[in-house]
Amino acid sequence: MPIREKGYYNWEGQLKTSPVKWLPIFVNGIKSVYKKKFSKLLFATSAFPFLIFLIAVYVATKPELKMMTRLVKEIQNDALLFNTYYTNGFLIFMMVIMGLFAGAELISNDLKYKSFTFYLSRPLSRLDYLKGKFSIVLFYLLAFTLVPGLLLILAKIIFSGEFSVSLNILLAAIIFPIVISLFLGSLSIMLSSLSSNSRFAMVMIFVVYVMSNAIAQMFHGIFKNTSFLFLSFDSNIRNFGKFIFGTQGEFYTHGFVSGCILVGLTILFFVIIMMRIKRVEV
Amino acid sequence: MENEKIIELKNIVFSYGNFKAIDNVTLDIGKGIYGLLGPNGAGKTTLMKVILGFLIPSSGGGTVLGYDISGSPLEVRKRIGYMPESDCLIPGMDAVGLTAYLGELSGMPRQEAIKRAHEVLYYVGLDESRYRKVETYSTGMKQRMKLAAALVHDPELLFLDEPTSGMDPQGRKEMLELINDIAAKGTMNIILSSHILADVEASCKHVLIMNKGKIISEQDIATALNMGALNIIELKLKGDAAAFKEKMAAYKMEQDDKGVYRIHLPADFPLQSLFKTAYDSKVQIRHFRKSKVTLEDAFVTAIGKGDANAH
Repeated sequence: MPIREKGYYNWEGQLKTSPVKWLPIFVNGIKSVYKKKFSKLLFATSAFPFLIFLIAVYVATKPELKMMTRLVKEIQNDALLFNTYYTNGFLIFMMVIMGLFAGAELISNDLKYKSFTFYLSRPLSRLDYLKGKFSIVLFYLLAFTLVPGLLLILAKIIFSGEFSVSLNILLAAIIFPIVISLFLGSLSIMLSSLSSNSRFAMVMIFVVYVMSNAIAQMFHGIFKNTSFLFLSFDSNIRNFGKFIFGTQGEFYTHGFVSGCILVGLTILFFVIIMMRIKRVEV
Repeated sequence: MENEKIIELKNIVFSYGNFKAIDNVTLDIGKGIYGLLGPNGAGKTTLMKVILGFLIPSSGGGTVLGYDISGSPLEVRKRIGYMPESDCLIPGMDAVGLTAYLGELSGMPRQEAIKRAHEVLYYVGLDESRYRKVETYSTGMKQRMKLAAALVHDPELLFLDEPTSGMDPQGRKEMLELINDIAAKGTMNIILSSHILADVEASCKHVLIMNKGKIISEQDIATALNMGALNIIELKLKGDAAAFKEKMAAYKMEQDDKGVYRIHLPADFPLQSLFKTAYDSKVQIRHFRKSKVTLEDAFVTAIGKGDANAH
């Protein structure tokens, strides 16, 4: 391999001090996830509920079409529309898959390949590193929850020809996907930070989610006490949805508690991630 | 401005549990290229990590390029290029992508980072394989890649931790040529940590020798090699050398596989008395030559003195 004959020469530019030092991590991570095998299939599948609901919103404004009557009935008002959309089992399942797809390797691979040294030898703090990594998974989770939610609002306005969405529902339609994405994203990143084996992280994200539901359902089935459903991530998400959108349901009165559980767990996951990242030796 | 201090450390102590990896190190490093020598486990890498702000010293402090190592570690790292010893490349990226990415993380605008990545990869000799995934690189290529990553943002100070580790002789030679070329430009200060004495001897103007967490010697390479206080004589003896060795027991004497003795004598030692001692010991001197003092001699002497002081 030849060595440049011209010799070393200096770079004439000026280094910037950006307030968002983690931005290159975010941009690079977005591209890396997008380039992954099966990413387009996953994105298309995750967007599927949005397409169904988009059609339903359209059909709801055209009663003469007499299509999708059951779904149209379920989304007869805005609160029901967003609650049904955000808490439908398929979308939640796809978000868990998205979390493990986009988040499982983010920190575990850096642990495996000791890449922390490369990041931290740059003007980046450990918190900047975490912000960069977390923003990647958050981006993908929000891209398939918050963005379609906002598009549904837009579609409703366009199809009905009037701005009829109340401010409360609009706020709820923004806050709910953010809370859920923060929760699922922090769960993914936390499990990714616990092991240098990304497969372990992938499996654990899925297992933790499914097991929380299985255990909750088991105790609920045995003791016939709905309080056990607080053990289930899935039930808490649905319950919080009913609370924030103000729709009636089995758990409605405890929806606030579910919201607190989700927020509390998110904080706990972040504390664990920071502890893990601080302990990584470079 | 040779005397301008790049690094100033005062009473730095750092421990891993009960083990003192850095033991009260006080150090001033000026401009130029410095070699940091020491046996494995001497504390070289730990010292580098303390300077980079990766590790917080339990006591003491210091500045690098005028920035406090504990108070402004990010300002320090912005101005430093670090080539780590460990294999820590981010897999799944090609060399251009990775180098540009690291440039961006240092604060370079994206387009500039990409342009510069091509340049430094060309400079280190990876131009033909710059679009290959870094995980497919050989050890030597990975070392070059790490050097390119350390150079991409054109730092003021370059830390090279065992830069020739795992390289074949040709690759090692080329790596040292690159280091010398960067140093020759005179705009970048370099600290080269190695346990390979020949690397330091070939590249550095100053040498710091570490052992057991302490800086035990700090001098110019030229001074170290002159070693005014040392006279190394090569001798070949005929006859029973036991009596001769006994008479010269006060001085360090080693024998190589060809039977040549190397005797470390003080500079003021009268060389004629060697012949008298040989005559008295009934041995003939068949070969007599003043040996070139190598950095290894300086290193061994410094380590020996350090150990003696410790006891």
